[in-house]
Amino acid sequence: MPLNIDFLQILLHMLNFVILAGGLTFLLFKPVNRFLEQRREQFVQTEKKNLEDAEKNEQLRVQYEQKLRDADTEIAEKKKSAEKECADVSAQYIKEAREKAARIILKAENEAEERKGHILQSAQAEIGELVVSATQKLLSDTANPERDSALYDEFIRLAGDSAARERANNDKK
Amino acid sequence: MEHSAIVSKGKGKKNVFLVLWLALIALILVGIIIMLPPGEKHESIQTVMKDSVLHEHNKMAFFGLVVNPGIISAYMVTAILLVGAALIRIFAIPRFKTVPGKFQSVIEMLVDFFSGMARSNSHHEPHFVGAYIFSAGVYIFFSTIFELFGVQWITTAGHSMSLPAPISDINAAIAMGVMSYVVILGGGIVFGGVKGALGVLKDFSLPISMSFRLFGALLSGLLVTELVYYSISLSFALPIVVAVLFTLLHAAIQAYVLTTLVSIFYGEAVEPKPKKEKTKKAKKAKEI
Repeated sequence: MPLNIDFLQILLHMLNFVILAGGLTFLLFKPVNRFLEQRREQFVQTEKKNLEDAEKNEQLRVQYEQKLRDADTEIAEKKKSAEKECADVSAQYIKEAREKAARIILKAENEAEERKGHILQSAQAEIGELVVSATQKLLSDTANPERDSALYDEFIRLAGDSAARERANNDKK
Repeated sequence: MEHSAIVSKGKGKKNVFLVLWLALIALILVGIIIMLPPGEKHESIQTVMKDSVLHEHNKMAFFGLVVNPGIISAYMVTAILLVGAALIRIFAIPRFKTVPGKFQSVIEMLVDFFSGMARSNSHHEPHFVGAYIFSAGVYIFFSTIFELFGVQWITTAGHSMSLPAPISDINAAIAMGVMSYVVILGGGIVFGGVKGALGVLKDFSLPISMSFRLFGALLSGLLVTELVYYSISLSFALPIVVAVLFTLLHAAIQAYVLTTLVSIFYGEAVEPKPKKEKTKKAKKAKEI
């Protein structure tokens, strides 16, 4: 054959390559390919899981934001109602305090008026006692029956006038 | 401190002297080797190159058969590759991790390269052709590199010679070409039926072109290397560089070219043929 072509040797080369191809396929190609496929599948699964997680996280985020918005609205409403309640309570307190103050003032005025009456009464008694003691002193120093009777009369007149005025005042009240 | 500085300075001087001395000896030796008369040549350049192409003179014994040295090389490469693959299968693959180390990356890259090539060119049936082109690529690459190791073998004439790359033997190249064509034809028949087979048979020149492309490419590298070996007496500096460069280049290119061609033709052969639209005449006939 030209170029030293030999069919037997071609067949020997073919046999050699078939043996090699079979061996390499079963020893190297298939196991490594299987490993690569498994790893690819694992990555695909991981990626899928990550995507699902991301989607779930996004949903949770939306829910959370919604809850936050709801909470803000609720807080605003509660604040408003609390302010209203507070204003009502404070108005009530102020009203009660004013009423109480009015009662206290009235009571105080009455007490003051009463005390004034008592003071006036006790002052009149004291004045009378002073006048009597002063008169006694005077009488003991300068005893004179005419002047005494004149003084008695004058005193009776004065005392009578003041008692009459007091009665008139009491009647007026 | 001063004492140590003086000691280190002295050591540095000694090292410089040692390097200079060795460099001088190496230079003189190189000069002597270059000036030596060239070795006696038993064969003319014509004989050497003719034998590289045709392997007519140097034959070897193989289980009682007288064969070209390429056969011995081919079986030796196969044995080495199978042992290597078995070792990887037993010791490395069970320890593969999700995050690969350096060795695992190399193996994965090698398998994934051919597997990806098969997937991209033959979408419908990438498994078989993937395994085939993986084996073919690995075989062509490592069998071409094999000649670099210069494994010595005894010829039937009793001389010792270094084993060549198997594919530099035209019989090996024809075997690869024919087998590749058979794979493509088989794919066409299995997945395309008669139409697929006819489509592949149309490219009847494919095995010849594949065989001779492989053989020619490998042979050209071999011839240049032989020429360099023959012409230069200094047969361990320049020839090594030339041989390594040519061999690595051819190994990579030829492995890539053959596997790409096979995967493309296989992809075409197994591709489902679109159904032809009915012609106007047929439509009219149906209407009538």
